Amino acid sequence: MLFIFRDDPRVNAVQRGAIDGVAFATSLVIAPLDAWDRLGNALQSRSSLQEEVLRLQQENRVLKGQSQRLASLLSENARYKALLNSARDIGDDLIAAQITSLSPDPARHIVMLDKGVNDGVVDGQPVLGAEGLIGQVTSSGNRNSRVVLITDSAHALPVQVNRSGLRAIAEGSGSIDRLVIRHLPATTDIRVGDLLVTSGLGGRFPQGYPVARVTEVIVLEGDAFATVFAAPSSLLDRGRYVLIVMWGDLQREAAP
Amino acid sequence: MIERTQALWVIYVSLGIALMTMLLPLPMEWRIVRPDFVALTLFYWVLALPHRVGVATAFGTGLAQDLIEGAPLGISCFGLMLATLVLLFSYQRIRQFDGLQQSLVMLALMVLSSGIEGWLRTGVDLPTLPLTALLGFAMSMLCWIPTRHVCRQLRRHYGVV
Repeated sequence: MLFIFRDDPRVNAVQRGAIDGVAFATSLVIAPLDAWDRLGNALQSRSSLQEEVLRLQQENRVLKGQSQRLASLLSENARYKALLNSARDIGDDLIAAQITSLSPDPARHIVMLDKGVNDGVVDGQPVLGAEGLIGQVTSSGNRNSRVVLITDSAHALPVQVNRSGLRAIAEGSGSIDRLVIRHLPATTDIRVGDLLVTSGLGGRFPQGYPVARVTEVIVLEGDAFATVFAAPSSLLDRGRYVLIVMWGDLQREAAP
Repeated sequence: MIERTQALWVIYVSLGIALMTMLLPLPMEWRIVRPDFVALTLFYWVLALPHRVGVATAFGTGLAQDLIEGAPLGISCFGLMLATLVLLFSYQRIRQFDGLQQSLVMLALMVLSSGIEGWLRTGVDLPTLPLTALLGFAMSMLCWIPTRHVCRQLRRHYGVV
């Protein structure tokens, strides 16, 4: 019955409220565990905290240095693009969010974020981890949203080999450390270690974000196609902090 | 004599608590062995009070489960409803079974309901459970006796009829 009403706006409204409800229930369930974590943090020794501050300062300095170069490279790039008469890249806005929980469904790779419509989240926005793309927003409540990770076996995204510019579709494999590219001609120039970046085709993901690195290229003799496996650049099951990218038409549609 | 409804809320609270166990955080790869307390609790109540808990409750439970999982609404309802129907037809016999036999029945029901869910998922192009999900069913099977014990204590303590 409910399949028929799957796209009914009323069901969607219920689902939107439900996302917030589920997130709230989850926060209730994990509150004791969270409190335990916080206690551990509070009891962390002063010296180890100082060490960490030092380490982070160092890291910050290195990153600042690198970003200085980035700025000059960006302007240089913009000049080249101007020379080539192509459209100028607009920097993407980012929303920082936190992963609060994981869907209990073992067949899916869905996580819950603590940002929702109220924070400017729109369905379809790409989500970045520390080292690359990790997924996209599929449904959002008012204060929370659900993100399907790129390794979910119902997910596929257009990528491009950074070295050669070769375009392909990277599908999720259902295992957290693996993407699959099928139906590449066996003679294709793709090697272990190649970086896959988003190609920007289809308009869902902005171009140029790192996605995965090729780990295995399988060409069976006599087969017309190669199967390529790649490991996501970001460790999808580690780390809690992610960035939601606001870009392109999605954002304009959402603006009142 | 007509039995009066009493302390029905215990049923719904216990189902709610079972749903809460779905929300407990587990590492990604370990979610598969999480025992399905929701189905076990539901099956217990169907077995114990078939005149109170039936297909409609199974439907509601399935809906709640889908909301929590973020799956299309209703996708896990049909499996649970069918398993409940099987229980409703045969609860008198299953009540006579000992713990182990009942556990095996629960395993069969769990495989039935998730099999149906799998079909529906295939129908809407969603990923289905891998074969390792059998481990999860085995875990659920092991949890049947403790779940039955806890629910029975609840039922007797609050006199749910």
